[in-house]
Amino acid sequence: MKQQMLAMILAGGRGTRLEALTKKVAKPAVYFGGKYRIIDFPLSNCANSGINIVGVLTQYESIQLNSYVAGGGHWGLDAKDSGVFVLPPREKADTEFNVYRGTADAITQNIDFIDSYDPEYVLILSGDHIYKMNYAKMLAHHKENNADCTIAVLPVPMKEASRFGIMNTDESGRIIEFEEKPKEPKRKITSMGIYIFNWKLLRKLLNDDDKNPDSHHDFGKDIIPTMLNEGKRLWSWRFEGYWKDVGTISSLWEANMDLLYRSKELDLQDQTWKIYTQDKCAIPQYIGDHGDIINSIIDQGCYIDGKVEGSVISTSVKIGKDALVQDSVVLPECQIGEGVQLHRVIVANGIKIAPNMVVGDPNSEEIELISKNVR
Amino acid sequence: MCNALGIVNFPGSNVRIKGMHDYRPIAAFSFLGRYRMIDFPLSNMTNSEIEEIQIYLKNRPRSVFSHVGTGRQYNINSKRGGISILYGENSPESEFYNTDIASFKANMRIIEKSTKDYVVIAPSYMLYSMNYDTLLKKHLESGADITVVYKSVDDAKTRFIDCDTLALNKQKGILSIGKNRGNYKTRNISMETYVLSKNLFIQLIDEALKVSSLYWFTDILNEKCEELDIRGYQYRGYLAAITDLTSYYEANMELIDPEVASDLFKEEWPIYTRTNDSPPTKYTEDAKVRRCVISNGCMIEGEVENSIIGRGCVVKKGAVVKNAVICPNSVIGENVYLNNIVVDKEANISRVKNIQGVCGSPAYVRKGDRI
Repeated sequence: MKQQMLAMILAGGRGTRLEALTKKVAKPAVYFGGKYRIIDFPLSNCANSGINIVGVLTQYESIQLNSYVAGGGHWGLDAKDSGVFVLPPREKADTEFNVYRGTADAITQNIDFIDSYDPEYVLILSGDHIYKMNYAKMLAHHKENNADCTIAVLPVPMKEASRFGIMNTDESGRIIEFEEKPKEPKRKITSMGIYIFNWKLLRKLLNDDDKNPDSHHDFGKDIIPTMLNEGKRLWSWRFEGYWKDVGTISSLWEANMDLLYRSKELDLQDQTWKIYTQDKCAIPQYIGDHGDIINSIIDQGCYIDGKVEGSVISTSVKIGKDALVQDSVVLPECQIGEGVQLHRVIVANGIKIAPNMVVGDPNSEEIELISKNVR
Repeated sequence: MCNALGIVNFPGSNVRIKGMHDYRPIAAFSFLGRYRMIDFPLSNMTNSEIEEIQIYLKNRPRSVFSHVGTGRQYNINSKRGGISILYGENSPESEFYNTDIASFKANMRIIEKSTKDYVVIAPSYMLYSMNYDTLLKKHLESGADITVVYKSVDDAKTRFIDCDTLALNKQKGILSIGKNRGNYKTRNISMETYVLSKNLFIQLIDEALKVSSLYWFTDILNEKCEELDIRGYQYRGYLAAITDLTSYYEANMELIDPEVASDLFKEEWPIYTRTNDSPPTKYTEDAKVRRCVISNGCMIEGEVENSIIGRGCVVKKGAVVKNAVICPNSVIGENVYLNNIVVDKEANISRVKNIQGVCGSPAYVRKGDRI
């Protein structure tokens, strides 16, 4: 059935900077905020923005991601005309079999999938950002400006700017310059990696790009510069709100802490823009006789008999008597023994920490990832 | 796959929960913060691989419809089998005509249509976890006509009041079915959980109607004790019967204890419910929480002790909540003191600063009430 706008989520990244957390799962499937996975954010945004069909482009360890998103039921994307589809590279008749060579190539290899819905517009998203955005508003902006492509932008601190695409706009918001991950950024208005394209035009650009042997097959490096050179109408859309790229252990930790310290900006309680996720059938959390919980987030299925302060505790974690968990993120199904002390760490899912161990350092600058059992 | 049609039955007049009952049938009562009563029999059935389920309701079906839906959350296959929610569509002149037998009769065609050879009937007001497939196998091995599940309890003087009791012979044959009037300590409490062949079930419905329009299923069983081979099957796990506000409150309270809860919630026997997509619960700097069961979606800024807090509740700064069952989406305002109380859904207590029930007889705050 014809769709006005289709969303394609780029979830191929291996996420090596997340270390052992992404050893068995793709980055978008990493746990966040007590009960969510990172990809719940773009998927919930799609569902809440009225987008019915979402493709998830992945090639690294896609089994867990696939079993997680398949069907789309967790986000309500399972009505007759909607669905979430995991799209790993596949072999096709009369073409060479290739892995996705770049962000643009991932879309090129799925032109047939997109065509089957005959959309007017295609929304390109990244699977590793934490934010809440109404894409319908962005589309309205795109239409108002009669744009060929609209890029969501936001200001970032100069020191972080080199991690992103940096752009220059005129007064009306039209983009006149674009640089992907520059070594020395000149400005600090950055691309969020969220694009709306007119599908007919993008389809042509992708087919051309596919034939170009010098191309990186990347949106930031190839497609956007080509459009600028050709004088296409590229518009920026200024996003105001919380946004975080959780590509590293410390930024993943920070984003979790933002749920405690910046909850006005990243409000998960907001009933008008819920973030959906898989529901585990866990019993409600139990806080024992020795439990003491201060400024923390705790999910269902937990059994807490120790002190938890400034921390995010995920589904079905057990924390023993006299344990102290401080400024830490504990992922699902961990067992923290009696008398354990945790400071400034992320504990990977399913890890066991034996009684009375001290892990992490309250004065450390760094956030440590605990991905092996501590005995 | 279990060769039985699952039936969740509504209770008789022995069950009357002051206040809460005005808003919904017992099947839809909030329980332990995140569940509703019907989650327990339904999860027992789907975990036992029963794939055709009928839920019988007397009235006010709305909350059950919206909670159960297609039954997908209970692992019901949407193509094979499924859940039907049935309620008596002919409104009787008097409430006492509204028996389970009348309801079964009204839906006889759907019962006959079932492809299963047996029926398992379970009440919506009792909490336990049990494998009905094993029960059916035991029933078939015994060669009995009907198997009735019971539990031997030694607190029948104070609990399970007005529940059915079984008088058994040495071979576990049922001699008669009576009522627990609270006169004796030890009783065999009928769990109103029955297994029998579908044909016999249909036959008993018709026979009951011939005897009396006011007969319940348990009445016709009692009458058939001599004629048929009706046997008891002893259950030994956790059991609670919710018959009044006190037993509702006490069942919630005793399940705060993880040891007691582990007898009802077993790892290999999950209790399913409908998700509300609530975020994890947040505790602020001023939170003080001891010995509690707390659901997701809450904001805890005050003090909570020995209590159950339902989904999406707010306990504001300076509030003290003790020995309380707070149903979902309620707000306990600043400096409010609550003790020995059941607060129904979506209530907001802020102006009155002190509400206390007495131990053994909890106070009750109405649904959506502003105090």
